[in-house]
Amino acid sequence: MWSRLRSLAGMLFRRDRFESEMRDEVRFHIEARAEDLARTGLSPADAMRQARIEFGTVDAIKDDCRQSRGVRWLDEIGNDLRYALRLMAKTPGFTAAAILSLALGIGANTAIFSLMDAVILRTVPVTSPQDLVFFAHGKGERPGVSSNYPLFERYRAIDGVFSGVTAFSPTAFKFTTNDGLENVTGLWVNGTFHGVLGVPMAIGRGFSAESDQPTDTPTAVVSDAFWLRRFGRDPSVLDRIITLDGRAIAIVGVTAPEFTGLIPGTNPDVTMPIAVRAITRPDYLQDHGTWTDLTIVGRLKPGVTPSAALAPVDVVLQQYMSEEENSWIKKGNPDAFANAVLVPAAHGSGVLRRQYETALNVLMGMVAIVLLIASVNVANLLLVRSAARSKEVAIRMCVGGGRARLIRQFLTESLLLATLGGALAIVFAQWGTAAIMSLFNAAETPLLIDVSPNTRVLMFTAGASLVTGVAFGLFPAFASTRVDLTPALKDVASTRLSRRWSLSHGLVASQVALSIVVLVVASLLVRTLYNLKSLDAGFAGGNLLLVTLDTYATPIPEASRVATLQAVLERVKTLPGVQNASLSRSTPIHTSGNARALVVVNAASEKIEDNAAFTNPVSPEYFDTLGIRLIRGRVFTDLDTGDSQHVAVVNETMAKFWAADRDPIGMTLAFRGDPKDLITIVGVVQDTHQMNLREAPPRTVYSPIPQAEEPPSGLTLEVRTAQEPAAIVAAVREAVRGVNRSIVLRYVRTIDQQINASLVRERVLATLSGGFALLALVLCAIGLYGVMSYTVTRRSREIGIRMALGAARSRVLAQVMSQTFLIAIVGTVIGVVAAFAATSTLATFLFGLTARDPLTVAGVAAALLVVSLGAGLLPARRAATLDPVQAIKAE
Amino acid sequence: MGKNPELLPGTLDMLILKAVSLKPLHGYGILLRIQQISGEALSVPQGSLYPALYRLEHQGLIAAEWGESENKRKAKFYTVTATGRRRLKEETAEWNKLASAIGAALGATTDEV
Repeated sequence: MWSRLRSLAGMLFRRDRFESEMRDEVRFHIEARAEDLARTGLSPADAMRQARIEFGTVDAIKDDCRQSRGVRWLDEIGNDLRYALRLMAKTPGFTAAAILSLALGIGANTAIFSLMDAVILRTVPVTSPQDLVFFAHGKGERPGVSSNYPLFERYRAIDGVFSGVTAFSPTAFKFTTNDGLENVTGLWVNGTFHGVLGVPMAIGRGFSAESDQPTDTPTAVVSDAFWLRRFGRDPSVLDRIITLDGRAIAIVGVTAPEFTGLIPGTNPDVTMPIAVRAITRPDYLQDHGTWTDLTIVGRLKPGVTPSAALAPVDVVLQQYMSEEENSWIKKGNPDAFANAVLVPAAHGSGVLRRQYETALNVLMGMVAIVLLIASVNVANLLLVRSAARSKEVAIRMCVGGGRARLIRQFLTESLLLATLGGALAIVFAQWGTAAIMSLFNAAETPLLIDVSPNTRVLMFTAGASLVTGVAFGLFPAFASTRVDLTPALKDVASTRLSRRWSLSHGLVASQVALSIVVLVVASLLVRTLYNLKSLDAGFAGGNLLLVTLDTYATPIPEASRVATLQAVLERVKTLPGVQNASLSRSTPIHTSGNARALVVVNAASEKIEDNAAFTNPVSPEYFDTLGIRLIRGRVFTDLDTGDSQHVAVVNETMAKFWAADRDPIGMTLAFRGDPKDLITIVGVVQDTHQMNLREAPPRTVYSPIPQAEEPPSGLTLEVRTAQEPAAIVAAVREAVRGVNRSIVLRYVRTIDQQINASLVRERVLATLSGGFALLALVLCAIGLYGVMSYTVTRRSREIGIRMALGAARSRVLAQVMSQTFLIAIVGTVIGVVAAFAATSTLATFLFGLTARDPLTVAGVAAALLVVSLGAGLLPARRAATLDPVQAIKAE
Repeated sequence: MGKNPELLPGTLDMLILKAVSLKPLHGYGILLRIQQISGEALSVPQGSLYPALYRLEHQGLIAAEWGESENKRKAKFYTVTATGRRRLKEETAEWNKLASAIGAALGATTDEV
């Protein structure tokens, strides 16, 4: 084995020496033989001649020697490569078009795949992630993963199937910097968190069981990103004390850069033990009365399957739920707590995956089609060119060039094209992913995923290039080596040839069909985005600045937080350029919000099973500032204080639901749990969309801030400005700091930015699918143009003869155009049928139109026909303007 | 060269190994040696000698080195390697077994059947 490798390596690197030594050796042999022959009495010249004859054909023997050494296939590959390169250099336009279309196709696939890799395929970088499971509950496809602390302790006590059970809960902390307070993302964890998961650490240590004990010296573990951002990765950070939520905390460790927690897309800055949370919320550890976002994760013992571990877990859950004090949990939604489920946790929590999986599948399908179109293009161009080479192929096959050898040569060329395309694709994909990630920046919180190319992504690109190269190469390779030798040599356009034309035409028709599918999908998604953006959401957009003000866990005393925020409002109102300003707990098209159960007294409707309403404490100016129209009664005034009669303004949906045809003004309602506090409805306002644009406006109850069920510690400031809101941001910041430096400004945005943030997925889908559709359309047009113009070239002699015999130019034009039209029609019909089948998966993404929207399909079909005819027009005009004499003479 | 019987397929490698196992030889020398040790009964077609030599060298059964021929000319000399010697022994044993078996079979008389 080694000797072979060595001799092969010798061949590769000392090729010249091998050749010269072989030459010397053969020469020596012949001369030695000639000397021996000369001794028998032949003349030297005759002896030499005789020796040569005896030796045989030197070149053939040398070739056999090379083959013995395994060099010949290297030679052949070298020759094939040289030949392919020469051919490519001879037709630079074709080569560039082929490489570029492949690079775009493969690049688009690589970009989407690297997103898929980051969102769906990648496992969390902890020890043996495949052994981790989430403790979830509920029937159906989306088991809930929330829990409370007492249930976690019960789960922890299960014996025998888990080697460790831990829990975490996302949160946010106020981090004290030199410039004031900053909001940082955080995680409350059980002390076993780092140990059970096997979290990789950059420096220092993770928590231990000790961390669960009450302590006067709380500790924290920070993320690598936070360490870099705040401390420039200074190792002395382990001795630092930082202030979080006003408490001094010692940093004991920094997690490794690759670890970003178990919720993909997020990267908590600071992790603290749940024991620290219990300092401010002592009841948290024993509280059965709340259901929190505590997520429980366990590590299965080696050899224990999730199904084997489920039985004891379900026993614990059933027992817990059957206890009297926990009966409230199942009341609202018994199915959600019917049974325990162990959900694999190797990829972390499924929130991001659920949000984007279908969208990514749609995009992956689209880019696969685009690559198919690009491949068909290159296959077609190769086919067209190989037809031009049919004479050469025929000659080579006549002189005994094996068909396998010829096919290999065609494949070498296509693989070379695919390899170059793939290499360029990596560059395109880099730009692509950067562009895609910037689309995600519109969201309120950045999507923190690592999309830099890794081994799996590069393997994917290599695989895609290889498959593409073989696929589009084999086809023309087989087709063009199946030549009928005689007519090909005679240079006659034989019937064989025309049969291959119909193959080419079929390929172009399939491109048209594939393009239709991509275009229909893209049009549906783009129109969905348009429909959502142009929806009347029930308030005035324009120059409206929103600033979330946060006083939670700040030095401002709880009792004066509302007053402090109201002081900010008064100050902002006086700023130049401000037309109006208000405060509210929730703002439209934002996922924050609160729904409360209520009972309405004197209601027309007795429906009480569905009695929840969205509640929003607002300042009196809210409706004016947002441009929400008053329909009946009055809005709030400064006279609606905590001590005055409790009042409410409801939206139209709420009024219709409860009052039906009667006048809602004067009706009273009460929130459940607070039935004595009767609230009188004083006004009805226009409906506004709340959580997002897709959901219908919820039944809404507005109340004056001083009368809110509990005084809010965070409110959003709305500022209506005369000019661009961006111009006033600095002044608003200054005003806030002027009132109290401890107020945290969290999320400063315009209403348009807030709406766009709610449409990130829609915009990503619309933008990308639109881009891919455009690419498909261009590739398809190029394909059609290429094939039609080659058809015209091949038939120019025939066209010339017909024109010489008196055929009108318009007739020639019509003929070429009708052929183009036929291809386009066949492709379009197939494409429309395929699109109907393909778009049914899109239903959940669409808004304001159905997956089979006839207008969209008709529009796309029409657009494609126009583009097809346009692509066919150039070759057709060339055919019609042929000079018959030259055309006939040319061949 | 004479009109000697054709070499049986597969035997050329064995003969080359035998020839170079006695003494390092150049290609032409191997040709002469095979003729000589076979009592002029076998002759190697010159066209297949060199490809066979290159193959054996590639397989590591023989090694080549440039040296000086009898008449002071530069020539490539082949020697057998340890692997080659082992192979020769195995093949010789195989051949003897086969040859005696075929000999016995062909020498069989009616009595023995």
